[in-house]
Amino acid sequence: MGPSIQYYCPCLSGFPVQTPPPPHVASSSASFHPLHSLFFCEECDAVRCNRCVSIEVSGYYCPNCLFEVPSASVRAEKNRCARNCFSCPICRTTLSVVASDPPDEGDGRSSSVPLSTVGEPPFFLYCNHCRWDSAEVGITFEKPTGLAAQLQKFEDSAAESLEFERLKEHFEPFLRTSSLSSSSHLPSVASHHMHTSSITAAASAALARDIPGVGKYNPHTRSRAGRDRTVNRDEMPEYKSRVEVGLFSQLGSGGDEGDVEFLTHIETAGEVAKLEQRWGNSWTTSLKTSDLRPLRIPLHSKVSKRCPTCRHILIKPEQKAQSVRYKIKLVAANYLPAMTVALPSPQSGPDASRRVPAKVPAAGDEKNFTLMAGKSYPFHLALTNPLYDPIQVRLSVQRMHVTASTDSTAPEKARRTPFAVSLPTSSFPVAAFAEAWEYDDDEDMFGVEDDELGLEPIGRGSKDRDGRGKVKTVGVLERRANVTVVGGEVVIGKEARGHVKFNMLVSYTYRSDDPLPSEDGAGTPSRVNAKAPEVKTFTFYTVIDLGPITPREESKVEADV
Amino acid sequence: MSAVPVTPRAKTGSVTPAATPSTARVAGSHILQASPHYTTTRRHSLYGTEDRVVIDPGSLIWKVGFSGEGKARDVFYAEPHNVQSLWSCSRATEPTERAEQDRLLEINLERCMRAVFHHSLLTDPKSRKVILVEHPLLPIYIKDMIARILFNNLQVPSISFASSHLLSLLSVGRITGLVLDSGHLESTVLPIFAARPLFPQLRTTPLAGSRLTSHLRALLLLFGTYLPPPTSLSAAVNVPAANRSMRVPQEILTDALVEEIKTRCCFVSGVLETTNDMRVSSPETGDELVELDVPPSDSAMSESSFSRESVGLESTASSHIASSDYSIISHPQPIGVSESSRGQSHLQVLANMYMRHSTATDLQIRVVPPASQQTGTGRGTLIIPGWIRERAAEVLFEGGDVDESSVAEVILDTLLKVPVDLRKTMASSILVVGGTPMLPGFIPRLHRELIRAIEPPASSRQPPRPGRPAPPQYDRYAPLRPLLSYFAILNNPAPQPPASARAAGNAGKAPAFSPATMAWVGGSLAGSLKTGGVEVAREKWDEADLTQNDDDDDMVMSVPNSEHAPRSIIPDWTRVPISAGAPPAVLPKGLTPAPSPRATVGA
Repeated sequence: MGPSIQYYCPCLSGFPVQTPPPPHVASSSASFHPLHSLFFCEECDAVRCNRCVSIEVSGYYCPNCLFEVPSASVRAEKNRCARNCFSCPICRTTLSVVASDPPDEGDGRSSSVPLSTVGEPPFFLYCNHCRWDSAEVGITFEKPTGLAAQLQKFEDSAAESLEFERLKEHFEPFLRTSSLSSSSHLPSVASHHMHTSSITAAASAALARDIPGVGKYNPHTRSRAGRDRTVNRDEMPEYKSRVEVGLFSQLGSGGDEGDVEFLTHIETAGEVAKLEQRWGNSWTTSLKTSDLRPLRIPLHSKVSKRCPTCRHILIKPEQKAQSVRYKIKLVAANYLPAMTVALPSPQSGPDASRRVPAKVPAAGDEKNFTLMAGKSYPFHLALTNPLYDPIQVRLSVQRMHVTASTDSTAPEKARRTPFAVSLPTSSFPVAAFAEAWEYDDDEDMFGVEDDELGLEPIGRGSKDRDGRGKVKTVGVLERRANVTVVGGEVVIGKEARGHVKFNMLVSYTYRSDDPLPSEDGAGTPSRVNAKAPEVKTFTFYTVIDLGPITPREESKVEADV
Repeated sequence: MSAVPVTPRAKTGSVTPAATPSTARVAGSHILQASPHYTTTRRHSLYGTEDRVVIDPGSLIWKVGFSGEGKARDVFYAEPHNVQSLWSCSRATEPTERAEQDRLLEINLERCMRAVFHHSLLTDPKSRKVILVEHPLLPIYIKDMIARILFNNLQVPSISFASSHLLSLLSVGRITGLVLDSGHLESTVLPIFAARPLFPQLRTTPLAGSRLTSHLRALLLLFGTYLPPPTSLSAAVNVPAANRSMRVPQEILTDALVEEIKTRCCFVSGVLETTNDMRVSSPETGDELVELDVPPSDSAMSESSFSRESVGLESTASSHIASSDYSIISHPQPIGVSESSRGQSHLQVLANMYMRHSTATDLQIRVVPPASQQTGTGRGTLIIPGWIRERAAEVLFEGGDVDESSVAEVILDTLLKVPVDLRKTMASSILVVGGTPMLPGFIPRLHRELIRAIEPPASSRQPPRPGRPAPPQYDRYAPLRPLLSYFAILNNPAPQPPASARAAGNAGKAPAFSPATMAWVGGSLAGSLKTGGVEVAREKWDEADLTQNDDDDDMVMSVPNSEHAPRSIIPDWTRVPISAGAPPAVLPKGLTPAPSPRATVGA
């Protein structure tokens, strides 16, 4: 894991929005996101993340056949593809429909020529990955199309839905009567012993034949005089299950005893279906892997996302399932400078003054780049400006360990700041984004813009325009096109451990030439005006993770953990 | 408690009458503030507002779907990557630590809740009322958190809170019964009479799924065998597997793997019939528990069996070797591991006993070798002795501890608390739900354990943890003995020949819904019957939220944001005021809780 940078969304921090949580707290990771997953609400002038946007479904489609499912049938099909899309119950691969071998017994050629286009009738589903096929569980089809519809009838008559309907019928009259008499529901049922309708009375009378003692006012027909008075006091007619679990074992695959027997003698764990493969069943089902049935592929949805506060749309896809474009797309990458962080390999600047080269075998091999405790390292921050206007950026590090009273990290961290970060303190410019064809004379552009803005180019005085600052590690190192690379330095304490991870506040000011937003919406957001009507400032937090610190003693062992 | 004035209002406002107009208002207010796009997206509310979303949020596994359907649309682990529970029975005491814990929990809950709507159900939360299947011991702060996420982040129109035990009972067509819900963290028994949960009689024990998992892990560490992958492909042929076998490294037993072994390979078989040996098992109450109380009085017995075992071990082991070509390290010296060897030797005694009486086959599972030993080719092999598969669940039936009753004992304890005139009813309509009873053989075994625990303590065979040294015969369940013939588990898949007509009418008569989904099915049923628990509309929440925030503003930052004062508008049975002298059972509103002496479970 190389160094990384993530952007802060304030949605989790409740009402006092200002500061992000200290980065070492585990929960802080939920507040920081990679830039490409963030949105930007122009109205609220705020970053929005996928945890806080409100999501609306704008269309359903099958991820396999890309069929756009009309909303009306989504419910009936239970969010599943109603066509030919099934996935393997074993490995979740998409199943393909396969025809049977042609009956070429006698004359070598299949007799019916027109059939050969689709194949011979008993069709079944076949997994190309694990070679499961649906004939194993006795599922074959007459036609190779509309398989879901052919299976539908089994699902409609599934035991759990029939039982469910029966349960509804069982409770409905009961609820109706009780709601009539009390305008209340289930809770109040029992307080109206004898106000039940004639239906339930009849039902309970009928049941009383079978079960001694049912019905409070019935004389106890058989035996046990007086002792079973407690039977069924709630005056609810006894529910007669469609399929009783106790009898289930006789009907089905051995039931519970059968399962125990089966489990006692299994040879491999693979014979038993995984929990994930059967936990969706609400009905008692077989444990065996060999009894699993093909799964209909769940639909996906295209969603549009709205800002949670002002309800403006942040992103809205095109309706068609095949399209990957968006009608509206307010992503944060179009508004905030994109930043990347890198630890330069020591070879590139070997004689930097305070820099201690770490033992890095190969340049650029950041995986092996370790931060040793008690040393200091430079790092590079590259900022890319997505706006059509140049921006002035100011960076500052949040002092978390000293000030944060809510810092609830492990005590060894809370004691002291384990490392110190230095960044350029003054603001520096990042040039405007320009389309590629505008780069004929970009050298001029830089000059013009800087002069126009009257910016004070921080690093330029020290002739580091083309980077590779020999002496300098902190400051602007490089500027080209709309990218500015600044250098920072981290000094790691002697007994530091954990990650070099700190929050950084980024505020950028830009001057907008035209008050209107640019053509494609990627340009000037309407932000709060800072001082002059033309200059606007936006501020956001990021977290930078430079990687784990290797403690001094056990140096290499923990490095790769 | 601030809840007191509000909750009665929620009750008298009784579930549905208030609900319909309020949803209309929700919709109206939406249109007011929404952009023109809203009307175009409205057509996507394809379920009709009467179909509600039923969420059964477990600490480990969530089940979600739409009301009116016979099975859940989606079931998922709350922590998909490392199968772990979202919350546990304990909570950090140190304030900052606790705040962090809560934040993490809230983040995870939010992730799950958003996944429910956007990933599993693909529906717009703003038009969906929610039925939340709540466990009676779900801590209030978690309940508040869930409500806050649903109302604030997802903006659902209303939430109904319904007791999981009651819903389970509905799913078998009843409104009276004794419901045991054995989930991941706890096994909880709650008697319900005429749709009224008798919360004061609730009893719970931590012997449940997660305890079984840790016990299983301990057993595997001690008695499992691990074959690392052969170092080279030729070694796979040349080196006999026996030479490679070693103790199970701790790292390969990830939560996910143990969970898989538990759900895929384990089962429960009958009571060990060798009566004297049961004695030995009774002190075993937990894997980490180093409570080796092999009593001096009958130590001769257990010692003899032990020594017999240590002798007989060779034979069993060798027979194993004969049957398979691996040398099962079934008798490792309890060395090295930092755990007390006493506990291990105790486990050893157990193992020997179980091993003798198990006929289950040993299983091999391919496992990813630990990172430190990734030298070989391919995957390693974990050999699970058959007796572990068969007897790991014994830990749930071995009670004796005051705080950790066995699953059978917790039912009997509840029965002892239930009013005498209800006992027969309750005993004959026991319903067993939750994930742990999905173990094949669990329910029949539980029935046998109930019978066994209630039998008079003979001198040699006693209910667990009898007064052992001197025999003043503590006969705890004597008052229940007359009920013996009435015990019936509604969803017993293999009912015993019933001892009474009453039991015959009940045992095994429930529909064959799987125990794990019964609460969800009941929620779906309640939703389609347009009933359910106390409903909280978003308006009410927003009102309360506003005042709450005003309060927050007043007391400047004294309350960290995750630690809101308890929401007074979220109903909970623990918040119902104690009715002075009123008859406890017959309250007019049943789904709303019966009066309870408990003040709060917030801690």
